[in-house]
Amino acid sequence: MSKPTANWEKLGDRFYRKIQLYTAVFDQDLELENYNVVGAPYSGAVAIYRDENKITAYRGVQASKASIDIYSCAGKLIRRIDWSKGTIKGLGWSEDEKLLVVTEDGTVRCYYDLQGDFVPFSLGHGAEEHLVQSCKFYGSGFVALLGNNNLISVTSYTEPRPKLLAIPPPDPIISWSIIPPAYSLSRSVEVILAIDKTLWVVDATEAEDRNFDAGPFRHISVSPRGEFLAFYTDDGKVWVVSGDWSDKLSEYDSKVKTVPKDMQWCGSNAVALAWEDEVHLIGPRSAATKFYYDAFIHLLPDVDGLRLLTNDVCEYLQKVPDETVDVFRLGSDTPAANLLEAASLLEQKSPKADDLIQLIRPSLAEAVATCIKAAAHEFNIHWQKSLLRAASFGKSVLDLYSSDDFVETCDTLRVLNAVRFYEIGLPISYEQYRRLTPEKLIERLTNRNEYLLALRVASYLQLPSAHIHGHWAQQKVRVSTDTEEQICALIVKKLHGRPGISFEEIARAAYDEGRVRLATELLNYEPRAGKQVPLLLSMKEDNIALDKAIESGDTDLIFHVLHHLHKKLPLASFFRVINTRPVATALVESSALDQDRNLLKDLYYQDDRRLDGSNLLLTEALAQPSLSAAHDKLKLASKYLSDSRDPTAQFQRQALDDATKLLRLQEQFDKDLLGSPGGVTSPGLTRGTSLVGLSTHDTIFHLLRQSHTKRAAKVQSEFKIPDKTFTWLRLRALVSARHWTELEDIAAKQKKSPIGWVPFFNEILGAGNTRVASLFVPKTTADKGVGVLERVDMWLKCGLVVKAAEEAFRAKDRAALEGVRDKAEGSAAVEVERLLGMLGGKR
Amino acid sequence: MAPIAPFNASEITEKARRDLLRLLEGIRGKKNLVLEKALAGPLNLLVKFSTLQEYGVDKPFFLENDNVDSSQRNIVFLVRGEKSTVISAVADQIKRVRRDSQIEHEFSIFWVPRRTTVSDQILEEAGVLGEASVSEWPLYFVPLADDVMSLELEDAVEDLYLRKDPTPVYLSAKALMLQQQKYGLFPRIIGKGDHGKRLADLLIRMRTEVAAGEAPSNTGPSFLGLTPSSMIDSLIIIDRDVDFPTALLTQLTYEGLIDEVFNISANQTEVDSSIVGAAPQPGQTGSASTSMKRKIVIDQKDELYSTLSDVNFAIVGNMLNKAARRLQSSTERNQLAAKTTSELRDFVAKLPGYQAEQASLKLHTSLAEEIIKFTHSDVFTRSLEVQQNIMSGTDPTTQHETITELINRDVPLSAILRLLCLESTTNAGMRHKDLEAFKRTVIQAYGPQHILTLSSLEKMNLLQPRGGSGLGVTPAAKPGSVTNYTPLRKSLRLWDDEVNEVDPNDISYAFSGYAPLSVRLIQSIIQKQTLANIIKPPSDPRAAAQANPLAQGLRVFDDATKYVRGATFDQRQTGEEKAVKARSMLNGNHNDAMKTIVVFFVGGVTRAEIAALRFIGNKLKEVGGEGRGSRIVICCTNVITGGSLVGSAVEKGRFRA
Repeated sequence: MSKPTANWEKLGDRFYRKIQLYTAVFDQDLELENYNVVGAPYSGAVAIYRDENKITAYRGVQASKASIDIYSCAGKLIRRIDWSKGTIKGLGWSEDEKLLVVTEDGTVRCYYDLQGDFVPFSLGHGAEEHLVQSCKFYGSGFVALLGNNNLISVTSYTEPRPKLLAIPPPDPIISWSIIPPAYSLSRSVEVILAIDKTLWVVDATEAEDRNFDAGPFRHISVSPRGEFLAFYTDDGKVWVVSGDWSDKLSEYDSKVKTVPKDMQWCGSNAVALAWEDEVHLIGPRSAATKFYYDAFIHLLPDVDGLRLLTNDVCEYLQKVPDETVDVFRLGSDTPAANLLEAASLLEQKSPKADDLIQLIRPSLAEAVATCIKAAAHEFNIHWQKSLLRAASFGKSVLDLYSSDDFVETCDTLRVLNAVRFYEIGLPISYEQYRRLTPEKLIERLTNRNEYLLALRVASYLQLPSAHIHGHWAQQKVRVSTDTEEQICALIVKKLHGRPGISFEEIARAAYDEGRVRLATELLNYEPRAGKQVPLLLSMKEDNIALDKAIESGDTDLIFHVLHHLHKKLPLASFFRVINTRPVATALVESSALDQDRNLLKDLYYQDDRRLDGSNLLLTEALAQPSLSAAHDKLKLASKYLSDSRDPTAQFQRQALDDATKLLRLQEQFDKDLLGSPGGVTSPGLTRGTSLVGLSTHDTIFHLLRQSHTKRAAKVQSEFKIPDKTFTWLRLRALVSARHWTELEDIAAKQKKSPIGWVPFFNEILGAGNTRVASLFVPKTTADKGVGVLERVDMWLKCGLVVKAAEEAFRAKDRAALEGVRDKAEGSAAVEVERLLGMLGGKR
Repeated sequence: MAPIAPFNASEITEKARRDLLRLLEGIRGKKNLVLEKALAGPLNLLVKFSTLQEYGVDKPFFLENDNVDSSQRNIVFLVRGEKSTVISAVADQIKRVRRDSQIEHEFSIFWVPRRTTVSDQILEEAGVLGEASVSEWPLYFVPLADDVMSLELEDAVEDLYLRKDPTPVYLSAKALMLQQQKYGLFPRIIGKGDHGKRLADLLIRMRTEVAAGEAPSNTGPSFLGLTPSSMIDSLIIIDRDVDFPTALLTQLTYEGLIDEVFNISANQTEVDSSIVGAAPQPGQTGSASTSMKRKIVIDQKDELYSTLSDVNFAIVGNMLNKAARRLQSSTERNQLAAKTTSELRDFVAKLPGYQAEQASLKLHTSLAEEIIKFTHSDVFTRSLEVQQNIMSGTDPTTQHETITELINRDVPLSAILRLLCLESTTNAGMRHKDLEAFKRTVIQAYGPQHILTLSSLEKMNLLQPRGGSGLGVTPAAKPGSVTNYTPLRKSLRLWDDEVNEVDPNDISYAFSGYAPLSVRLIQSIIQKQTLANIIKPPSDPRAAAQANPLAQGLRVFDDATKYVRGATFDQRQTGEEKAVKARSMLNGNHNDAMKTIVVFFVGGVTRAEIAALRFIGNKLKEVGGEGRGSRIVICCTNVITGGSLVGSAVEKGRFRA
């Protein structure tokens, strides 16, 4: 076994290692120099397409067909996407391995799995006119540069909303790069443009000149986490600046005349410059090292390193993790290194093993931890084993040790080694695995149709496997050549009853594939009614869709289906559909009331719901701006009920006719009293004096208030208002108008009142006129239930103590009289005493 | 480690707050906020305006006013996404701003509580879907107090009973489901009423859907998440239409009366400043118009208020008096006694507390005074008299004269409608002749537009001819279609002649005699023994404890529900045995102590009912109580009063000249 340090390179005071991942990657015929190559983050797939600007050897018609090819890192072709949709100006990957293809005219296709299914959207904002020049991608979005230097940003692929960023100056752009929103200071994407000699920073709201006049800058690169920016100047220098632009950290002179074809960060600590077959790696403080290749090389940056790709090899260049350095560095005497040594001595059955252990005893726990970490970072299975064996040995010596880390690392390494296997070709590093999360890794395996491995990994890590099964089933219905019955039976047998399986998705896949019957069959196994609805609609199973929506109880879904049906069906059949479903009818009514009155009218007509129809017309009548229009509607409303024998309808019809009559009367009065036809008032009069719109009672009240007694009486007889009510209205009107004399007249002349006299007293007293109120006190003797005590009280309320006393005296109520005495003052008191005396005398 | 109690008010508040602020944070720069009026109350309850400002909100606008200007590039809409009218309004305003404004705007829409396909459809048809970035603010329960959660759906009554639109039921189910996912299933779902039944069915259905739904991210919580909770006792669902009368009656607790007189919305009420004095910081509220009305927060955290809120108004005066005396004496005596400097320091340290208490005392004294004015009015006493007579079982026709007189005296329409509906709902409808006469009178007294009001009330089953609507002469309604109060009055003892308002011994105190049916039904489930003793006092008070045969099983509940309209349901939710064990191991062994009983009112709850339920809750907590320390949490679609109940039927338009 070669030493683990064999592939290390010293860069300043750090070590970098170049790990050979796979050999014989691409076919030797593939002229990689003529291709654009982009790799998905976290050691994902590699997409290549031929650069149209470069000439290639003609290989016959077949080979000249344009395509985007997706390979694994090991060079296994995953998918070939034939391309004939125009010039590709941007090709990139998202974090979750979606392939984005941007064409010159601003059309974007998002290939969401690795199987060639895509969702298109368009950039807009003048992209068609000015044409897309190039694109830069980050984890969840990208920025496109147009011919007129406008920048369009897309921040999400699930709901793409291309947004125009601030407009930079129109001068030619030499190079550009972006800072992803997660790492920019403003938390939104920032674009760095090299224009002329300087740099511009553009975000959503402003474009700012950074006054960096050392340019022109040929390359700009942003470190994976946005901490550092690297620029390549025209005179062959690399500048590194901190992410907030405050410090210039280093400057390196490459002393090369030709501008490199690419510059990328390798992790966050080194910059790699790539020429055709040469790579310079520049570390902090301008330390540098060089690598030479014998074939054209592509750089594929990743979060913690850099993948180097040639026809022959796929290599991974990364900073050697600190733990690995601790263990393996030549002459290292860290506890971890000693532990490894001890473990190998133990294997040789040498007693020195124990000596070594005793030597590092105090820091043994730390040594074990380091060994475990180093093992995790190790790509070579031999060294993984040695390190883990050392750790295992070390922890067996320790008294108290939690083996969680150890176990977890063993699990992880098993998974990592499995996916790194060349047939899978996911050479993911430990660090990348941690960031990607196991769930996402399983998703990647699923997308590669590696179901068995995905399931094994899932069960090994105790993760849910529903998604894998679902994906498998979808794939099955797409490609299987079995009969539909067989497919359905197979899928149901394997998946039914498992939690988390979406039969709806499987059914949709079947439907999209044109297997309608299979889709229907499968959909029956979906337990979530709501989920079934959209597919049922697209399958034109409208009635079932409506039933399922109602079953789900989600009114939004019901509305959705109803809306769809209403657009699609002729009115009569639409009504037929909803008629048998009360909830649907109620919802149609409810929404139509707000939005579509005519629909409602038709509905009521169709169903012969006279009362509702008439009510609707009344509602409309109320909304009419002019009275004549209101009359028409009222007439209609009443006519609507004319045939009905239903007592409620007859009552309603009467009420409507009364309303018309009342309105006519009110109009007439307005005309008489305001001197102009109802509604149009002369300038001198306020609108408020119009009677239109008042209720019958209020009309009478207002007429009486203005002393139009005859007219009020007319209204009373017209509408058969009971006397009691009329008296009340009259009383309230007179009081509110302060017509005291009339009230006095009533007190003097009228013998009887249908409502008794107490209300008169109360209302007038309430208005504050004790004098007039007192006139009614003697009359209350005619009222039921009003006795001496009440009357005494009334007198007192009017402030007439003497009268109260006399009242009590007449009734010979000594107690009441004494009560009055307590409230009496001055001359009144004397009088009360006198009366008391008289009473007393009599006794 | 004590597990967090389910339905934790502060936790729900905090989550809603965080969710909103995170959404706001996602939008760079200053923004104008356009919100639906109905959301202003809950928003106020959750987030202070100053906090919103910190998160970049410049000016708030109401959607209804349609006046958002172009002063900021970012415009944020915060609206409910269930009603198409609201959605269209949003679309129209986006179009208007886009048309009129000089600058290009960034529109964001936060749908509350969820994004609907209907909203997408409408926005798309209006051509604005691509313009706005859309997100959701999953606001379901808004805690009004530690034990009261409301969905604050203003239109719930109208939707459920008038339009028959079950959206509130669905949203309730969603809200409850969220709690179930967090704290485990309700071991038992029991209740009464058709909408309640639908809600229970939805909960069961959603359970299977969730189980089958999204792939659980890891096996832990969700595995436990759908097993019966060990901290929740049961969920009791009561549909409002089971018991309309309770809502129609005038509430007689202090809080209830505040709601009746001044209207409380989202714990806030507006009172004329001539009554309670101007706002404490006149410097901040500049304009004259705001000084006319003062916003008062009705807050259970105010110590004085929390003692007052649920008592019968009759004794509020006394309590205020006592509080005033105590405050006075404690400040005075302290002043005199404060001799040493350390005592003085203690006293001074307490001063702010006294001041706050004094302010609160002053506020509530003036509020109580105003309410007394209201309760002493002739109209109030007359209508209360009618209510009490109807509830105690007097022949309702004897009350007609009083009602007619009240109409003649032009009392507000809603008061009349409450009385009429009360009669109709307690007596399974009104005699056809009487009903027609009253309808005619109402139309004559309040205007022809109320033909619609009356027809709406009939649709809501609030005001209908005896024997159900329709042909009017069908004898004896189908069982279960109306609530029959006559047998219930006896079997549940709904009327209590010996009501004790000062030191209440039964929930009847809340209405000075009437024990609300809704609460009685709940009592028949959770406080069986006490209720049984109330209904049928044991002959020998000492031997009472276990003996009362009525308390066995669900006898009272089963007997009573026969006479109550709507479906009865009683479901148990069980889980895998293994999971149940795991959960109880995780949560420690609680047994029954401090289990939570969740009561859900579909279609709204009144504050008097809340008071009555709290009364039961306190009794349960007492030593030897039946609930062994249970905690009652009241959830509802919204808080209502009789006024708002009939108000949703009242037609607001009128003929115009």
